[in-house]
Parts: sequence; structure tokens; C-alpha cells
Amino acid sequence: MAIIEVDGITKIYRQYKRFPGLAGAVRSLFTRQYTEETAVHNIRFSIEEGEAVGYLGPNGAGKSTMIKMMTGILVPTEGALRVMGNVPHLSRKTNARQLGVVFGQRSQLWWDLPVLDSFDLHRSIYKLGERQYRDNVELCTELLGLADFLDKPVRQLSLGQRMRVEIAMSLLHEPRVLFLDEPTIGLDIVAKDHIREFLRTVNREKKVTIILTTHDMKDIEAICPRILVVNKGNLVYDGTVASLRQTLGNEQQVTIDFRHDPGEVDVEGLTLIEDEGVRKTFLTSRGGTAVFELISRMAQRYPVEDVSLEGADIDSVIRRLYQQLAEEDKRKTQIS
Amino acid sequence: MITYAKFGMKAFTNQLSYRAEVWLRLLGNLIAILIQTEIWRAVLGSGRMDGISLEQMITYSILNTLLLTLLLHHISGQVDASLKSGSIAGELIRPLSYPLYLLSNGLGQAAYQLVFTVVPSLLIAVLWFGFLPPASGLHLLVFLFCLLLAVLLSFMLGYLVSLLAFWLMNHFSLSWIMSGLRLVFAGSFIPLWFFPDGWRTLAEWLPFQYLGFIPAAVYLGEITPAQMPGMLGIGLGWAVALIVLTSWLWHRAIRRLVVQGG
Repeated sequence: MAIIEVDGITKIYRQYKRFPGLAGAVRSLFTRQYTEETAVHNIRFSIEEGEAVGYLGPNGAGKSTMIKMMTGILVPTEGALRVMGNVPHLSRKTNARQLGVVFGQRSQLWWDLPVLDSFDLHRSIYKLGERQYRDNVELCTELLGLADFLDKPVRQLSLGQRMRVEIAMSLLHEPRVLFLDEPTIGLDIVAKDHIREFLRTVNREKKVTIILTTHDMKDIEAICPRILVVNKGNLVYDGTVASLRQTLGNEQQVTIDFRHDPGEVDVEGLTLIEDEGVRKTFLTSRGGTAVFELISRMAQRYPVEDVSLEGADIDSVIRRLYQQLAEEDKRKTQIS
Repeated sequence: MITYAKFGMKAFTNQLSYRAEVWLRLLGNLIAILIQTEIWRAVLGSGRMDGISLEQMITYSILNTLLLTLLLHHISGQVDASLKSGSIAGELIRPLSYPLYLLSNGLGQAAYQLVFTVVPSLLIAVLWFGFLPPASGLHLLVFLFCLLLAVLLSFMLGYLVSLLAFWLMNHFSLSWIMSGLRLVFAGSFIPLWFFPDGWRTLAEWLPFQYLGFIPAAVYLGEITPAQMPGMLGIGLGWAVALIVLTSWLWHRAIRRLVVQGG
């Protein structure tokens, strides 16, 4: 049975209307008008035990809302949700024992306490046995390199050190599912690598199910074979990165900066998608050296300052997907 | 239970990092006591008012100033801050009872105040201003029990305000009202003895008197052993009522919880 089952989940936030200005502020006090905002709309997916899934989407797509519902701290407006067989918000505390949660932007550590004291409190909360606790602390200390700052108060740690501690703590009680909400945000490259490596190990060797939201596609590449992409509350993609690349096509984007605006440019094999005068962006389906030929042909006819190519790496695949989604949205609003 | 004891200990030791505050609080307490004793000296002279002597009023003022310190907690601010920053999410995904977590924090803070502010202030005040002994052994015992009750009630009232903040999204105005009501109706500065009849009746219908007036009146022996069961019964009744009310509100609050941001 799937460890997480999401069946037609919708979350609508109700926001009381506020009116601008001083008179508006007074008016806001007496009115109960509200607007409804759909943060998550009819989402359906299921995740098997031991999977590592990236949950992606532009800002405001409803990622955190979904994670909050899966951890049971937010109640869905509609739909059925099961995590480890339970309805999360009804069995919040039961599920909590088997869940690990890391919020990249919010610390769950006790600010004034040394790291080890935080671990010790965590141990009491989750009622861990002496042996289990010591083994897990040792393992995390070794794999995440915590030894140097275990007795420092949390407030004195650097962001990278703190994140490593957060992740270690979320795993001390050996959760079956680990939710990570932007765990690498604001970290330097070395710290990011360290964390990715560790998460991959945890997923592959300990079979901990991982659900990860991030804006850094390298996280996805390193950890998650499967991605779910959401946009404006809707699930728009569920599958591997590779097959997403195929659905979007192997097109490359070519952005050319001209010395002066050449006006209409017509070169076979290049489709103009964006025109900012001296900077034009084209799309081409030709790969490899064919692209360079196209560019040199262009350079012969017009003075070119700079050229940049955007290939099929994960970043550009996702960027293209987001752009495509934004265009669709625009079209829809134009129609209505 | 051990977990919550640990939280209490943690709240206690956490406060140790703010050592400068200990001295400031001590100084603040002594100034507050000085002002009150001088006022009562001017009002009462060497006479009595409603059967209360100056010595009793000085002891009353010292007890009440120290009670204010003891009952100082930041529950409402704490909940409000974690509600606004969204860190309440982190508190809720632990297999913990958040209310008990708050309570153990509050108790830890109270214990800290007791050891580092109340006891030193008391020692200095005893030497400087004079302090009457408790009316009797029984009165002392009941007084100590009243202190526990006061800590509990004070916590519950703060907790009530912080729960209402789930709906209002701000606790400040409520906390302000609460502290005003408390200052007057607890009898912290003017004992209920000196209230006009109507106001006194009102004060006796409210729980605030248990936060100041009652403990001090018990200590001074102004409450007879015959009155004690009734008085303690009503106090405990308030505690139970507040516990029932807040746990009901807590479940409602959780149900409508919308974590801000994110």
C-alpha cells in the first residue's frame, strides 16, 4: 500500500477583505466580506514507501500548503488524504512519531541550547531508547560532520551548520517519511553537496521516504528520481525528469545580443519567441553543431555582440515548463 | 512527564543568559515597594483604616509586588510570535501537547523568578522595610497553596488571551486589557478592603483577586480558617473552569488554524 495517498485534495483559504486607507481600515473592522483563494486544487498522487519525490512549482504554487496538509497541521477543504494509513490532521500526534520535518526557513532547534541538549530534548519528546538514540546521533555526527559544533549553542552556528543539525535531528527518531521544505535555501555549494549526499544515503540505505520542495534543481538531480510539478494549485506533471524533457521537446533557446537592432531577422531553423530590439530570443529544434552553424550564419549578416545557449539541463527544462505554464495562464485570462 | 519537566528546566536555565535583568528587576521591585510604603505611610500615618495597620499594608505591598514578579510570564507573547512567524507549525508537528509544553515553560520561568528575583527581593525588603510573620502555621500553609493557585490561574489567563489571538491574529490589545483588569481587580496596589462596596462585589466575582489580594490576605490572617474552604473552592473552581474553557478553545483554534505565511 502506498505510504502517502492524496486523492482529490483541495485547500481553499478564506481571506477577509481589507480596504485601503484609514477609512478602509475602519470599514474592515465592521465587514465580514471575504475572498476565497484556492491554494491547492484537486490534486491526486500517491507515493510508495522508499521513494524520493521532488515537489516543484513556482512561488505561490501551493507547495508548502500541501506539505502542511500531509503533516496534519492544516486541514484540507476537500478530498481524501492518507499518510501511513491515517488521516493526518486526525492522527497528528500518532503520525508525528514516524515523520521527520525540516523547514529550511524556520528553525526547530532551541535557540539558546547547545546542539546536544536539543538532541536530548528531542530524545525525550520521541521517547527514544538509550541505544537507538546514541547510535543515531553517532551516525548523523559522522555523516554530516557535526562533531566540531555539537556543544555550541545553536544561535552561534552558521546557516550551513544549523541546517545539518536540523536534518540530523529530524532523523534521530528514524521516521518513515521525511518532509523537507527548501532544505538547501541560502547554503553554499559545499554545504548543499554535503546535505544532498546525506539525504541520498538516507533514502537509498535506510529506505526513508523523502518528499522535498526546492527551487534548486541540483537537489532534485541528486536526490529525486521522480518529480511532481504544481502550478497555481494544480498538479501539472508527475513523472521522471527525463520524460518531462521528452514531452517538452529537445528544443534549445538561443539568445542573441546584436550591436544594433537588425529589425526583422529571418534565418531558417530559428523561430523568434521574444523580441526586445537588440536582444532576441529564438527557439531551435536542431541540436549539437547545427546550432553553431545557424549562429555563424546569423553573425555573417548582422553584427552580433553576444550569444547564449540554453540547453536541456534540468534547470532549463523546468524553466521552460514554468514559462509554458505562464503563457497558458495568460491565454486563458485573455479568452475569459 | 519527564519531557515536560525537562522543558521546565530548559526555560529556567534559558533565563540565566539574561543576567543583567536580574539586577534591574531587583532594583525595580525595591523602588515599587518603596513608593507603595511611602504612600501608605502618608495615608495611614500611625492609625488604622478599616482595621488595617500600616505594618500590615507594608507587608501587603511587599507580597503583592513580589507576586507580580512571580506571575510575570510571556505566554501570550510567545504564542503570538510563533503564530505570526509560522513557527507554530514546528511546534505542532512534534508528538507533544502544545498547551502542556507552554505550561512547563511558564512554570520554569516562574521557578526562575522565584529563585533569582523574588527571594532576594524579599530578603532585602524584610531588612529594609520590615515584614510581618504569617498569621499562623495554617495561614502560611494555605498561603503557599494560594501561590501555586495564583501561578496556575495567571498562566491560564495568559493562555486564554493567546488562544483568542488565533482569531484576532494579534494579542496586544487583549493582553493590555487583561493586564489592566488584573492590576485593578487583583488588588495589587489597593487591597479589596478599601474598595467601595459595588466594586468590591465585582472584584469578588472575578478570578483576578486570586492573583494578589487573596494570597496576601491569607498570609496576614485577614481570612479566617472558616472562610478558607469556600475561598479555596472558588479559586479551584476558577482554575477548572479556565482549563475547560481553554481546552475547548484550543480544539477550536486547531481546527481553524491557518498558519500564516508560506
